Order: sequence, then C-alpha cells, then structure tokens
Amino acid sequence: MKNPLTKRLPRSLKSDFGKYAVIFIFITGMIAFVSGFLVASHSMRIAYDDSFTTYNIEDGNLEFTEKPSDEILDEIADGKLRFYENYYKEESLLEKDSTLRIFAKRTEIDLECLMSGAFPAADDEIAIDRLYAENNNFAVGDTLRISGHSYRITGLVALSDYSALFSSPADMMFDAIKFGVAIVTDDAFADIRDVHLHYSYSWKWNTPPANDKAKKDASDDLLDRVTDVLKANAEDEAEALVTEAIQNGQDPSAVKMPDFLSVNQYIPAYSNQAIIFTGTDISGDAMMFLVFLYILVAIIAFVMAITTSNTITQEATVIGTLRASGYTRGELIRHFMLLPAVITLIGAVIGNVLGYTLLKEHMAGIYYRSYCLTTYKTVWNADAFIETTVIPVILMLLINYLVIRSKMHLSPLRFMRGDLSTSKRKKAFKLNTKIPILHRFRLRVLFQNIPNYIVLLFGIFLADIILLFGVMFTPILNEMGDNITEHMIADYQYVLKTPEDTEISGAEQYNMTTLRTPADSVLEEDVSIYGFEPDSRYAPAMPEDPDSVIISNCYAEKHHVAVGDTVTLHEQYGDGVYSFRVSGIVYYPAGLAMFMEQKQFRNTFDLEDDAYTGYLSDEPLTDLTDDNIAAQITADDMTKVSRQLISSMGGIASGFKVFGVIMFVLMIYLLSKIIIERNSQAISMVKILGYSGGEINSLYVFATTVVVILGFVVSLPLCDRLMEVIIHVAMSRYPGWFEYHTQPKLLVCILLLGILSYAVVAVLLLHKIKRIPMSDALKSQE
Amino acid sequence: MFLEISNIKKGFGEGESRVEVLKGIDLSIEKGEICVLLGPSGSGKSTLLNIIGGIDAADSGYISINGEKTADMNERALTRYRRKHLGYIFQMYNLIPNLNIKENVEVGAYLSDHPLETDEILKTLGLYEHRHKLPNQLSGGQQQRTSIGRAIVKNPDILLCDEPTGALDYNTSKDILRLIEEVNKKYGCTVVMVTHNAAIANMADRVVKLRDGQIRKNYTNETKTPAAELDW
Repeated sequence: MKNPLTKRLPRSLKSDFGKYAVIFIFITGMIAFVSGFLVASHSMRIAYDDSFTTYNIEDGNLEFTEKPSDEILDEIADGKLRFYENYYKEESLLEKDSTLRIFAKRTEIDLECLMSGAFPAADDEIAIDRLYAENNNFAVGDTLRISGHSYRITGLVALSDYSALFSSPADMMFDAIKFGVAIVTDDAFADIRDVHLHYSYSWKWNTPPANDKAKKDASDDLLDRVTDVLKANAEDEAEALVTEAIQNGQDPSAVKMPDFLSVNQYIPAYSNQAIIFTGTDISGDAMMFLVFLYILVAIIAFVMAITTSNTITQEATVIGTLRASGYTRGELIRHFMLLPAVITLIGAVIGNVLGYTLLKEHMAGIYYRSYCLTTYKTVWNADAFIETTVIPVILMLLINYLVIRSKMHLSPLRFMRGDLSTSKRKKAFKLNTKIPILHRFRLRVLFQNIPNYIVLLFGIFLADIILLFGVMFTPILNEMGDNITEHMIADYQYVLKTPEDTEISGAEQYNMTTLRTPADSVLEEDVSIYGFEPDSRYAPAMPEDPDSVIISNCYAEKHHVAVGDTVTLHEQYGDGVYSFRVSGIVYYPAGLAMFMEQKQFRNTFDLEDDAYTGYLSDEPLTDLTDDNIAAQITADDMTKVSRQLISSMGGIASGFKVFGVIMFVLMIYLLSKIIIERNSQAISMVKILGYSGGEINSLYVFATTVVVILGFVVSLPLCDRLMEVIIHVAMSRYPGWFEYHTQPKLLVCILLLGILSYAVVAVLLLHKIKRIPMSDALKSQE
Repeated sequence: MFLEISNIKKGFGEGESRVEVLKGIDLSIEKGEICVLLGPSGSGKSTLLNIIGGIDAADSGYISINGEKTADMNERALTRYRRKHLGYIFQMYNLIPNLNIKENVEVGAYLSDHPLETDEILKTLGLYEHRHKLPNQLSGGQQQRTSIGRAIVKNPDILLCDEPTGALDYNTSKDILRLIEEVNKKYGCTVVMVTHNAAIANMADRVVKLRDGQIRKNYTNETKTPAAELDW
C-alpha cells in the first residue's frame, strides 16, 4: 500500500505555498541561468576547440624586424615546421580614435569566419571584426577611411587567431573597443603604406607535439634556434661588412654596424592570449558558475532543512505517535525529505528547459559581447544536465537528510512528550537580571535561533560579495582608469624608429625597453624600463642614488618587492640578464614599471651616450615625421583594461546587483519567517497577555534586525578584503596588476541597499506577526 | 456589578455546518468572586472564557468590566483591556520556552505599572530555586505554577483559568487549586475558572453550569470547600 503520509504533501505545499513558491522560483531561476550558461559555454567551447582545425589556427608566430630571407626561414624551420607569411599593417582609424590591424585575406592559415555580409573581393572593400564593429557602431555597407583610402565594409568576420582582441601579448586585457582586426584583398593590402608593416610569420609544426610539455619544449627549442640562426646571421653580416671595409681600405673598427635582423615578437600559440584567453575564460567561467550554483543550492537546502526541522518540532507529538504506531524513522525521514527534493527536481528540470530554450542565446550573447568567436551550434550537454539537475537534487537531499536525521534520532516517547531538546542543560544560561526583561527576552530569542542566524550570516556574506561585485565593479574600474590617466608619465609618449629632433618645447627625450621577470617569479611577465633625463619633468620619481632604481607600486605589490631588494630581469629574446637595486617605490597604477636615470639606462643596456627611444610631451609633437613614429602611447592605450572590463562585464555586474538583493531578501525572509513560525505560540501568548503590537515586533524582529545589520557591518569589510585577495590571486595569473581600492562611500551604499532590502522583509515579518491569531496559544501543545 | 456578561451569542461555521456554541449567555460576577464555569466538552465554556478574555469576539451581546464594554473596543483597546485587567492561565501553561522561569514571570510583571515582587511570587509558588531553569526542565505542576505566577504578578482584576488542572495529576491539581484560592484571597482578584471537574465547583463562590451553549444552572455556594479538602 502506498504510504498514506504522502497525501499530506500537497496540503503542506498548499498551506505554505508562498515559501515553497519563492524557493521554487529561486531554484528554477538559478538553474535556468546556470544551465543556459553551461550549454552556451559548452557549445562555444566545442566551436572554439574545433576552430583550431576548422580554421587551421597557427601553432605560433614570429615577428621579425625586417623581411627575412627564405634561407633564414628554412634554416630556422629545420624541416620541423612550416612558416606562413602573415604580415599585417596597423593603421589608426581617426574617426573612432582606434587602431585597426589589417591583414591580407588568409588562404592557408588562421582562416577567417564570415559572420555576416561577404568577404572583400575588390580593392576598396574590407571586412572587419564583428565585435569591434559592434563596439564602434560599424555595419556592413559603412565606409572606413584608412590612411587616405576609403573602404566599404562588405562583411563582419571573426579572425580565428584573434578570438580575444589582444593587441600585444604583454597586455593584461584585450581591447575590443579601441583595437580591431580586418582583412582586405592582397592588392588592397599592398596598397596600404608600409610605415606600420609588421613582418609576422605564423608557423605550424609538421608533426604536432603530443602534449603540452612537448609543445613547450618544442617552442623553447625553436626560440633557441631562432636566436642562434639570427646571431649567426648577424655575425656573418658583420664579418662581411668588416671584410668589405678592409677590401675598401677603410678602418674596420670605424664600420658602423646596422640593425641586424632580429625578432620583435615570438609567441607560441599556447601562450598567445589572443588565441587561448577565450578558451581559458570559457572553462573558468563554467566552473565559477557551477560553484556559485552549488553554494546557493546548499544555502537553500539549509533553509529548507531548518524549515522542516521546525515543522518536526511543531508536529512532535504526531511524529511520536506515528513512530509508536510502527512507522520507521527512515519512512518519516523520507517523508520529510520528499517535498524539498521534488521541488528541487521540478525546479531543476524546468530550469534546464528554460536554460536550453530561452536563456541560451542570452548567455551566448555574453560571450559574443566579449569575444570574437566564430559561429557555434547548440550541442546537447549531458554534463550540464547532470551538473544542474542531479547534483543540486543530491545536495538538497544530502543536507536535508543530515539535518532531519539528526532531528529524528530521538525516541518515540521523547517525541510524544514534545521533548526534542538535545541539550543536557538543566538551566538556561544566566543573563544579568539587571538587564530589563524585554532586552533579556530579545537576547533569548537571539540565542534560541542561533542555527538560523548562522545560515543567515553565511547568506548575508554571500549576498554581500555578490552586491560588492555588482556595486563596485564599474566605479572601481572607472577610478582605476582615472588614476592611470592622472598618473600617466606624459600625455603623449612617442616611440621613434630612428632619432629625430623636435622643435616643440616641453618635449623630453627618454628611453624605454621591456624586460621579463624571472620564470620562477609570481608570473613571468613584462616590466617596462624607463630612463629619464636627470631633471625630468615627466619622471614619476627618480632615484637619489643613481645606481639604483625606483619601481612602480604595481610591480612591488605583485612581485612582493621591497625597498632595498635587488631584482633580476632578463631579455625575452636574448641572453641579457640584469640586476637592479630598488631604492624606492612610486605610485604608478598603469602597470609594472621601473624608473632610472638616462645615464644608468644607457650604461645598463650598453647604448650610445645620446641614445633615446622617443619623446615625452604634454602636447602632440606634430613636427615629427609620421612614418618615423613606431608607436604613440596615449591615455586610451593605458586604460584599455578598465574600458574593456566595463564593456564586457558591466552588464553582468548590474545583474549581480539585482541578484544579490533578491537573494538577500529571500534568505532573510525565509529564515526570519521560520523564527516567527517557531515562536508563533509564544507570540500568540504574549498577545493574550496584553503586549502591544510594537512590543511584540520589537521582541521577535529586533533580534533579526540586529543580526542582519551586524552581519552586514561585519561582513562588508571582510568581503571587501576577500575581494581584494581574490583579485590579487586572480591577477597573479595575468600580466599586469589590478589595483583594488576600497571606496568607503560604495560600502555605505551597499549597507544602505541591504538595510532598505531588509526593511521590505521587516514589513513582511511584521505583517506575519500581526496575522498570528491568539487562538494559537489555545491549541493543546506541549 | 464588576463583570457583566449580557446575551452573549457565538457560532462557528457557515450555512448548514454552522454550530451555535453560545446561545445567549447572561451572567454577572462580583468582584473577588471565584466563579467556576462547569460543563461537558462542547458546552461552550472555553469559548465564553475566551470572549471574556477579549481573545475571541461574540456575534452579539457584550461583556462589561467595571462599565467598559469589550464589544466597543478596537484591537488596540482590547490589548489595553487585557493588559490592564486580565491574567490568563491555560491548561497547557503556554510558557515561553526560551525564557527561564523567572523571566516568564517577569514577562507578566512588565505589563503592569504596579507589579508584585517577582521573587516573592516565585517563593510563594515554590519556584524560587528553579527560577533559572527553562520551562521544559520542570514538571507540569511547576510549569502551571509558573503560569499562575505570570498571571498574578501583574495583579490583575480578573484571573481567567482555562482547565488549569486538566493536564495535571490529582495531588498537583489540588496544589494548583490551592494556589489559585490563595491568590484570590491574598490579592482579591476575581477568578473565572473553566473546568469539567464537578468537584472543583465546591471551592467556588459561584458555579455556572453550561450545556449546549446555555446556562443550565447559576448558583452561589452557601459553604465553600477549601481547595485542599477537595476530593474526586
């Protein structure tokens, strides 16, 4: 015979419909969101992984300072790989104050995916990256003006080797607003001026390395080979020049050596952020969302378990009778577990259906708003179903089982007597009798509901983190952008190809190069090394001791460098290793940097006494030859991280605000409702005794109010600190540094938001207290 | 007249399932009297007590205490009425489980401008040494004594007792009845006690017998039997 107790489940559901409905909606919503996200990310991940073969993505690329000969390329390849010419030209798009990296349409490697429109077929046609186009409001049919030529946009594309628009491998973050990629026909490419031509070669291994370690070993060997070949080539060329000088009767020591062929950039695909960042992010996001879902389900499960535990207390005599009548403990445990499990299961199934149908495209949109992904097809993800259905249900069952089982272990007699206390205490702990009775009453309510409040505090903590992220995300990034702009070395920073004079006053020569931190440091990454004139007006700081250096706070914080330490850096594509003694740390939020005097810079890098890289200036140096400017660094370049993060995740951050508030309200309401329900008879009794509504509210809502406000006040700084730690740990995996600054006014904002949300809950609680009838006290219960 | 109950009618349910529980009760109780409402289950005695206590409303008729009619009172006024005039003792004690014994009594004391001394009450009730215990650590009789303490500490005009011995054994029941009698004598409060135990009627000044929602008998005892001498 079917267990007749199951017949009461629909009635239990009906009698507490509001609570179950809220939990159901919350679980369904969460699972729909996560399921939609997992399906989208899984499908994206498959499309991304497939793109390596579909679009023949390179195994790495190498950029030379000039065009290498075929012999050199063959010597480097050594029969192990094949090089593909993949030149590009970078041009400014003045109307949008951004940079376009233009390639000739690829036919063999790093193929493009056409997202809409058509590939360029004529010399005045161009196809640009879809995301860059969206961010800059370009559409098919629009015309772009690039270095004197007009191009009609025929299509929007995704370049398979630029799924994340990193303009440089040293960048902390991609920039899909100020940086874009484009393709034109071969002829159109040839027509573009060569001023900003980059001699880039992609390669593919003839026999792909078997695993990650083999890939790294092969890439390291290749770099060694590149270095050796170029060194030998330079030596040969130098020797030829000397020989020629001798043959011409010249002094060989007076021969001025040219810049020999060297490498500007060497990036194996496995470390190319433009290629791998998207894949890593998709995988990381999926894990983050799952962990987030499980934490929330666990909290909801605890709320459910506490609710059920409360029901068991209220129905103790009935349970005792059923147990005495022969119902087993297991049958009753299963009975009480059934409703939460069914609600979770139905919520999970409906959530999955919603995730797969309604939300999947929205979730995919999140990725498309950040990454230049190729097209994807929805792929059924059995793992996602298990992760968002089976595991939440198991989690719900497990937590409920543990809580209910601990409640049900008492004997039937204890249940019948209503004696469910597990404490052996004979006395309540003492409270000073000088404390007024109402205060003691409130304290007793507080102590009585410690388990609820612990779950509540955990919920507040979690909601705080969500709110903190939602509220602080954009302002902190804005502040970061402002700080970087405010502390820029100069408004205009020029890197020249060859030295050139300027007549504009205020311009100052400087030197700059890039070195790498050691492989065994927090992260092997670039540090910008600057050399300034002794009386520089632009240097953020200058060392008093000319043999020492000043480093940026970002460098010091990330790599734990203190004043007095000696740091060792090395060249990326050379053998040079350099040590510097740090004599000061200066606030420079733009990134990892080191500052020294020009003289020391030139000595360190063995440069001529008058060598310089370019100019620093507060105004544009309009008299410089345009073709001689290798790079111009402006505030836009320095603030790309904050700009891109706001663009990619600003919308999500707003969503977090709403979600945090909903979760907060839900948690507090459900848990404090239990407190009211547990005390309904006592509340009824004090009503009979003649306590006023205000007095009763102050007794039973006050404790919750104190816990909520204290919880907020205590957890906010903790969350703030935790957020800083999380960001710093996360940043240890990426180049650069994110300076986390607490903004007290935002903490106050979150506190007020929390209090306001609680006020809504408090109104509901007061209403609930008001509705408790005095007849509750008349029910025969012990 | 201190407590006047006039033509009180009360029914539950709608249509055919409606049951008239009180069918026009008229009753007067003098100040300081012990009045026992006696009757079988379903006679309407607890309903009448709840209406007197202002925790249930009559369909018609009124309750007047010292000239104040409860029917004219809104919720706030009814709360004030209970606060000012009433003390309540229930069959199942209804103590607040998370407050200790002394605090439960103090919950009553708080409501009065001139409460009795809590410790003295606890001593009178034999609860002083248990004052730091929680209700569930005491016997039923001790809990009921606490309930009496909570009711009388605010020195109420009327003590309403709903089957105060219903859940207690013989000796403890007599102990509780003796206490109620003592409280009545010592503090002069009017006691209205609901019971189905006919023997208890012997300790009352006035006995009101109810059946089917009507008063079948209303008489005063010529000679009261002290609670300690009751037997059943």
